[in-house]
Amino acid sequence: MELFLQTLANALIQSGTYALASAGLALAVGVLHIVNFAHGEFLMVGAFVAYWLSVLAGIDPIASLVPAGAVMFAASGAIYHASIRRVLLAPELNALLLTFGIGITLQNLAILVFGATPRVVHTAYQLTVVTLGPVSVGVAPLVTLVVSVTLLAGMYAVLYRTGVGKSIRAVAQNRTGAHLVGLDVDRIYLLTFGIASALAAIAGSMVLVRIGASPHMGFGFVLKAFAIIVMAGLGNLTGVLWASLVLATAEAFVRTYVPGGGGAAEAVFFLLIFFTLVWRSWRTA
Amino acid sequence: MRWVGPTVVVAALLVPLIPAGGYQQYVVQVATFVLINAAAALAWDIQARTGQLSLAPAAFFGLGAYAYTMAALRGVPLPVAFLLGPLVAGAVSLGLGVVTLRLHGLYFAIATLAFAEVVKVIFKELPLDLTGGAVGLTAPPLLGGHQTGLYYLGLCVLLLVVAASLAIRHSRLHYAFTAIRQGELTARVLGVPVVRTKLLAFALSAALTGMVGAYATSRLFFVIPEDTFGIGLSVTALATAIFGGVYTTAGPVLGAIILRSLEEGLRLVLREGYLAVYGVILMLVILYLPGGLVSLWNRRSRDAAGGD
Amino acid sequence: MLLAATSLSKRFGGVAAVRRLDFHLDPGEILAIIGPNGAGKTTVLNLLSGVFPADEGRVVLDGVDITHLPAEDRCHLGLGRAFQVVQPFPEMTVRDNLMVGALFGSRQRSLAEARRRTDEVLALTGLAGRAAMPARDLTLAWEKRVEMARAIATSPRVLLLDEVMAGLLPHEADEMLAVVRSVRESGVAVLFIEHVMRVVRDLADRVIVMDFGEKIAEGSYTDVTANPMVIEAYLGSEEAGGA
Repeated sequence: MELFLQTLANALIQSGTYALASAGLALAVGVLHIVNFAHGEFLMVGAFVAYWLSVLAGIDPIASLVPAGAVMFAASGAIYHASIRRVLLAPELNALLLTFGIGITLQNLAILVFGATPRVVHTAYQLTVVTLGPVSVGVAPLVTLVVSVTLLAGMYAVLYRTGVGKSIRAVAQNRTGAHLVGLDVDRIYLLTFGIASALAAIAGSMVLVRIGASPHMGFGFVLKAFAIIVMAGLGNLTGVLWASLVLATAEAFVRTYVPGGGGAAEAVFFLLIFFTLVWRSWRTA
Repeated sequence: MRWVGPTVVVAALLVPLIPAGGYQQYVVQVATFVLINAAAALAWDIQARTGQLSLAPAAFFGLGAYAYTMAALRGVPLPVAFLLGPLVAGAVSLGLGVVTLRLHGLYFAIATLAFAEVVKVIFKELPLDLTGGAVGLTAPPLLGGHQTGLYYLGLCVLLLVVAASLAIRHSRLHYAFTAIRQGELTARVLGVPVVRTKLLAFALSAALTGMVGAYATSRLFFVIPEDTFGIGLSVTALATAIFGGVYTTAGPVLGAIILRSLEEGLRLVLREGYLAVYGVILMLVILYLPGGLVSLWNRRSRDAAGGD
Repeated sequence: MLLAATSLSKRFGGVAAVRRLDFHLDPGEILAIIGPNGAGKTTVLNLLSGVFPADEGRVVLDGVDITHLPAEDRCHLGLGRAFQVVQPFPEMTVRDNLMVGALFGSRQRSLAEARRRTDEVLALTGLAGRAAMPARDLTLAWEKRVEMARAIATSPRVLLLDEVMAGLLPHEADEMLAVVRSVRESGVAVLFIEHVMRVVRDLADRVIVMDFGEKIAEGSYTDVTANPMVIEAYLGSEEAGGA
């Protein structure tokens, strides 16, 4: 029973991270209608920003979420202007390949500059564990969950309670219509892409403490993020929360209860995406 | 343009004879990788012509490689083991193809990507004595590992893929593939047998990729899940095809010659991170030359038929 | 009867797009379907050509029940279709567009036979001069012609046309009219949806009027346009403050 509860707790904690990592992607896909394959690399950028701030200036990684987000927000603006905005009207294949290219370039640049070996940070609270009844939870992951939930709540609040959020949703639903009523679509795209990328970087700074920073870390996250938004349904921002929970739970239980679970847990995400996609495609026939 | 093909073939035949002194082995080795990349890219292109962006070539490459290796290690005569590569890959692809028939665009891409990753994990987790687990297996090389012989064998593999591509291009299938790509529903209403055609394209592409995989083991020496099924191959294949020019025969081949040479060149200078070249190329092509290199020629000859 | 639909019905969610529709088409006949927007006319064509399945009813083509057949098979049995929102294959030339129809239509032709058929249709529809143009470079009028020519290239026995005259100048419409007549002369029955009344008057042997998914009138052009129900459907009744 305790094992069960512990697994659930792990799942809950992990889902916060996943939700944070996927929310940005959901935003990019839902609003700009492009698939940002570089999303994982943006996360990686955030992790490295947090790493260097920690190593050079002693700033706590979790506090680095602000600079990490800011850096990526700025960088994404440049990326958007230089490339993304040109493919917004092209077939979606182009955007997919373009962001793929951006991701590979960033990843390999990181390898060049930082080397392929993962970097780790050491914080005072790294190994501290909090016990809540029958379950024990690491402080770092717990803080991550709190931050994730707060940020996500903030994002939803902005989207659904502010004027800017309304503009974003309008553009997401009907680009031409939004343009016709006077919204500056390009600027909204820029802003949204910035927010989405910043969220990725923030997620990166959050995971630094637990898994370190490495140029290769992005790929695994982007695939999981895709799993989550595909499950939620492309463009469905609220679905990201429950999809993260479902996938994190599946992963946690496979890891705990399936023998040799580590490897199989990797496959869980992909199997779930695959079956969800296939099942949905035949059901709407 | 007619003379380009035969010239390239003749040039390819002469590669091992280039006097490069101590670098002879190296030249042949690089050229062999060019052949592998070209074949994989062209095989991917064949399936891309029906408008599906598959991110699963790595899975079929790996399946071909493992089928060959596992059979060869169990005493199956090498030529037969070699043929198992395309057979296994083709058979599996039919299953995948049928299941994903109703998926398009991005969803299809992600589904094939998910499939490829699952295959990778499966091979990692299978018992050591069956597939070598995460550590992999050492592959018995074809032709006893003779470098030049292997090069010519690779050339044969590439020529086979080229032949398949050209055969399609000059048959009714070309129209079927293009129609499906540019308007699947319209194609159906015009009588194009869409299901059969898509499955054919998918299976042929997969079988050819599997053949490339089986061949490549002799060049790569061992099969190991992380690398053999790694997404790197899928990325290389599609970036190469797009750079050279999709939906053409010359494009992927040309793309491979240039890109692989660039990669090898970069590899000498940078010990790591040379794959950035694929990323940058992909970006530049999408932004500035979506038709790939081949479109530079076509602009001059004003060929609007969509293909070489 | 070459083509017969019985009790054809289709709902989309809460909306009944087509309700228990019965009609037939005889060999060599040109039948028009007219009606206000949203009457379900295009849905009927979609049901006939197999774009989506009917909820109820049957479609029989020359004695063969095609109600559950996929679109490709219906084409092979002789049903040709031109869409209202034109869908030429954009990156293909006009000639190649027609080739697709010629190669895979109701007759499985070899490349050589298909080329001959394509040349025939190019001449018939006046597209020979534009044969080498990529379809995306065409103006709307020419796109519509390609759309129709492509369906003709499949050598159909029944040709379904959806508002092919919309947006055409009078002389362009006349040219299209002539093409449809010569197609009929070659033995093809035609079912077309149209809003341009002059075309309906000049072309149709018989007219069916639809409103809210149902057939409300059937007969010759003069009969149908004098029918008070038809007038009300188009213009609204006096009580409703119509026209």
